Amino acid sequence: MAVLQSRSSLTPEERQLRQKLILRDTAALLSLFAIAILLFFVTLFLFHSFSVHRQELAHRWLRRGEKALHSNQPLAAIDALRSALAYAPDDENLQIELAEALAAAGRTEEAVAYFNTLLESRPGNGMINLQLARLAAKEGDEAAALNYYQAALDGTWEGDGYIRRREVRLELAQYLIDRKHFDRARNQLLIAAGNAPDDVNIELTVAGTLENAQDPVNALHLYQKALQHRPPRLEALEGASRAAYALNRFFQAKGYLERTLNHPDFEKQPAEIQAQYRNMLSDADHILLLYPGPELSVRARTERILANRRVAQNRLAECLSSKSTVPPALQKLAGQWQQLPSTLRLMQLEQDPELQQRIMQLVYQTEQITSQQCGSPTGNDALLLKMSQAPEAVEQQ
Amino acid sequence: MSVQPMQQTVPRKPTKTPYRQLTQAELEKIAPTRDERLFLVLSIFIGVLSGLLVVSFRIAIEWIKILTLGSAPHAGQLRLLLVPAIAGLFVAALVQLFFQGARGSGVNQTKAALYVYNGYISFKTVIGKFVTSALAIGCGHSLGPEDPSLQIGAGVASMVARRLNLTRQRLRLFAPIGAAAGLAAAFNAPISAILFVIEEVIGQWSAAVLGSIVLSAISSVVVARWFWGSEPIFRIPTVTLRDPRELIAYAILGIVGGFAALVFSKALGYLRPRLRSLPHWTHYVQSGIAGLLVGTIGFFGFAQVMGPGYEVMDQAMHGQFAWKLLLALALLKILATTLSFSSGTPGGMFAPTMFIGAMLGASVGSFEKLFFPHLTGTVGAYALVGIGVLFAGFLRAPLTSVFMVLEVSGNYSIILPVILANMIAYLLSRALQPVPIFEVFTHQDGLELPSMEEAREESELHVEDALHPVDVPVIKGQQTLAEGAQLIAAAKASAFLVSLWDGSWYAMTPHDLTSAGATVTPETPIERILPPERTPVLFPDMPLDSTLHHFPRWPLLPILNRASKGTLEGIVSQDDVLHCYQEH
Repeated sequence: MAVLQSRSSLTPEERQLRQKLILRDTAALLSLFAIAILLFFVTLFLFHSFSVHRQELAHRWLRRGEKALHSNQPLAAIDALRSALAYAPDDENLQIELAEALAAAGRTEEAVAYFNTLLESRPGNGMINLQLARLAAKEGDEAAALNYYQAALDGTWEGDGYIRRREVRLELAQYLIDRKHFDRARNQLLIAAGNAPDDVNIELTVAGTLENAQDPVNALHLYQKALQHRPPRLEALEGASRAAYALNRFFQAKGYLERTLNHPDFEKQPAEIQAQYRNMLSDADHILLLYPGPELSVRARTERILANRRVAQNRLAECLSSKSTVPPALQKLAGQWQQLPSTLRLMQLEQDPELQQRIMQLVYQTEQITSQQCGSPTGNDALLLKMSQAPEAVEQQ
Repeated sequence: MSVQPMQQTVPRKPTKTPYRQLTQAELEKIAPTRDERLFLVLSIFIGVLSGLLVVSFRIAIEWIKILTLGSAPHAGQLRLLLVPAIAGLFVAALVQLFFQGARGSGVNQTKAALYVYNGYISFKTVIGKFVTSALAIGCGHSLGPEDPSLQIGAGVASMVARRLNLTRQRLRLFAPIGAAAGLAAAFNAPISAILFVIEEVIGQWSAAVLGSIVLSAISSVVVARWFWGSEPIFRIPTVTLRDPRELIAYAILGIVGGFAALVFSKALGYLRPRLRSLPHWTHYVQSGIAGLLVGTIGFFGFAQVMGPGYEVMDQAMHGQFAWKLLLALALLKILATTLSFSSGTPGGMFAPTMFIGAMLGASVGSFEKLFFPHLTGTVGAYALVGIGVLFAGFLRAPLTSVFMVLEVSGNYSIILPVILANMIAYLLSRALQPVPIFEVFTHQDGLELPSMEEAREESELHVEDALHPVDVPVIKGQQTLAEGAQLIAAAKASAFLVSLWDGSWYAMTPHDLTSAGATVTPETPIERILPPERTPVLFPDMPLDSTLHHFPRWPLLPILNRASKGTLEGIVSQDDVLHCYQEH
C-alpha cells in the first residue's frame, strides 16, 4: 500500500528519473561485477605464478641444504633449509632436516628447542625422538637419552619402520656399550638379532656389536649363522675366529683362522690385520700343542703335562727370585708345589689321572698368580695363561 | 601516519551521460529504500574487491621481496644494505610528489576519512598506498601489510559508494566496512578484523553498520581463503595450558610485553615528530636513510627483522630459535620499525607488533622451557599469547587482542592465559603511557579524532541514573476535579501524575488542571478533561537522553516497570536529568 502511495505520489518526470536511476544502479552493479571478475583473473594469474615460483624455490633450497649437510657444512645447510622451509612450511621432513643441521652445527640448544616443538605436534614420531636421544647423549644426559631412544623404538616410522627400529636398537646398544652397560646392550642386541631377517649384513653388524658388548658366545653364534651363507664372507670368518679365540675355543678358532687366511679376500686386508690373524693362528696352534687333551694317547698327554709342569715351576722360581719379600700368594703357591712329589716318573703319572689333573690345575694357578705378581708372561707361559682362562673350552667345537 | 587535508568534503565527478545527478532530497523521494537495499549488496562487493586487492597486494610484496632481496636474504649480502635504501628514496619521492595520502600506516587515515572527510578516500590514495607500501615492505622496510590493506579496503568501499551516489551518511559508513574487509583479508581472520574496526575505527557498537561489516569481512576472507587456504598467516602449533602454574609464566609475559609496548611507543613518539619537523627536502631522503639503517641490521646478522617477518614468526612459534636470539630480534625489530615508520615510509604497524610479540613470547617460553622444563607448555603457545600481549599493550585493542589469538589458534583452552597476559600488558601500558599510540600520531598530525579508548569506556547514562521516588501526588483518573485540587493543594506540589484506567499516565501542573477544569463542574472526573495524548512510556534501562525531548511538553515523566504494566518505578524531571549529566 505504501509502495502504491509512493508510486502514485510521483510525477511523470520523477518516475522517469526513477527508471533512469534503476538503470544506472543496475549498470553500476554490473560494472562492479565485471571489475570483480577481471580482478579475480588478474589475481589468479599472479597467485598461480607466485605459487609455482615458491615451489621451485623450496626445491632449490632443499637441494642446496641437503648437499651442504652431506658435505659436512651444517651452517650453510641451516641457511638453505631455513630458506626452503620459508617456502614449504608444512614439509615435515624438511623440518627434521633443519633440526638435524642445527644439531650438526653444534647449536644444540636451538636444535633441542626445535625438536621439542616438533615432538609436541607429533609426540610419537620415531625420528624426532631419535634425534632428541642423540642430542641428549651428546649433552651427557643419560636418562633423557635412554628415554628418547626407548620412545624412538616405540614410536612411529614412515614406511620402513622395522628397519629403522633395528637401526635405533643398534644405536642404543652402541650407546649402552659406550656407557659400559654391557648387559643392557646385550639385551637390545639379542632382541635386534631375534627380530632380524636372515641377512648376512645384519648378522655381521649385530655380531660385531655383541663382541663389543663382551658377549662372544652370541657373537660366535651369529657369525656361524652368517657363515651358512654361500660364499662365506671374510668378515664372518674373521669374526668367528675372534669370537672363538676369545672364548678359548682354540681348536675351533684354529679352523676359522685357517679358513680366514685362505680366504681370497684376506690378502687384500691391511698388513696389520693380516699379522693379527696370523699371530692368532700361531698362538692357537701352540696352545693346542701344549694342551693335554683327552683325545691324545696317555703317553702323549702325560708328556705334555710334565712339560707344562716344568714351564710353570720355572716361571714360579723366576718370580720368587725377583721378589725380596715373598708375597703370601706366592708362598702358598710354592707350598702347593711342594706337596706334590718332587720327582715324577712318566709311568707313575700315566697311571694317576687324579694327579694329572692336580698338576694341570696347579700349572694354571701358577700362571695366573705369577702374572698378577710378576707381570705379563711371554712364550709358553703366556699361552698357558691364556689356556688357563677356560681350559675345558680349548678343544670345544 | 599523516593525514592530508582535503580540498573538498565530498567531491563528485561530473558525469558525461545526459543523466542528471539527483539531489539527496530527490533520491529520498523517488527511491526512499534504495540506500538500504544497496547497502548490503555493496558490502559483499566491497568485501570481494577488497579481498582480491589484498591478495594481489600480498603477492606483490612477496614478488618484490624475491626480486630485490633474493629468495633467501641472509647476513652479509650487500643488497641488504642497498635495496631498502634505494627503495626508500624511490618510495619517498613517490609519496612526496604523487601520493601524499599514502604516507603512514592507514589506520588513522581511515579514521580521518570517517570523521573528517565523510568517508572519502581517493582512488589515487588507494593506488598510491598499494604501490608504495608494496615497494617499501617488499624491499625490506620493517613494516607490515595489514594497515595498508585496511586503508585499501576502505578506499575501495569509498569508491564503490561514490559511484552509486549514496547519501552522505551512508558514504561515511562505508569506510569502516571496507576497512574491515581489507583487514580481514590481510589477517585471514574475520572476527578479529571486525572487532578491530569496531574498537579502533568506529569506537562503538553500531547495529546500523555491524551487519554490513560482517558481510564484507566474511566476503573478503572467503576470497582470500580461496587463494591462501584456510590456514592463518603462520602455522599454529599445538596450544594448551598444561599446568595452572604456567599462568605465572604468562603473567611474566604480560609484564614483559607491557614494558616492550611502552618502549616501542616512546621510541615512535619521540622520533616521528622530530623527523617530521626537519626541513621538507629531508623528507625525500628520510626513508632512504631509514632503509639503509634497517638494511645494516640485516647485513650484520639479523635479516629476520626486514619486511613483515611472517616466516620468522612461524619459525619462532615452532621453536627454531634460542631465547637469546628471540630477545635480540624483538629489540632490533622495535628499532627497525621505529626507523622505518618514523621516516614516513608507507606501511603498517600490525605485522611488526605481532613480530615483536611473537619473539618476546617465544623468548619467555623458550627460557622457561630451558630452565623449568616440566612447568611450561609449548613455545608456540607463548609466541601466540605474546602476539596478543603486544596488540593489547601497544595498539591498545584489548578485545581484538584476545579474539585474534583465539581465532588464529582455533583453541579456546588458551583463553585464560591470553586474558591474563593481555590484561596485564594493557593495564601496564595504560598506566605508563596514558595516550594510545594511534592517538599520539593523530595529535602529531594536527588532527583531533575521537579517542577510541575513551569512547569505549564512556559509560552511557540511563534513565535509572536520574530516577527518584515518586514524591508528587498521584491522582486516579476517576477522581473528581475537586478531589484532585484538594490533594494538590495539600501537597503544595508543582506537578502531579494522573493514573488512568488502562495503565497509562498523564502528568500535569496545578495550572493545567485549573485551565482544563474551567469549563466543567468540580464533580467531573479528571480523566474526562484530559486530552487524548499520554505521557511517553519510559523504562529505567532506557538511555537518559531519550527523556530530554519530552520535557518541553511534560513537567515530569513517570518511569514504569517493564514487568508490571502501569506500575511506577519512579519519576524524572528535567532538573533531575540535567543534574545527572552535570554530575557525570
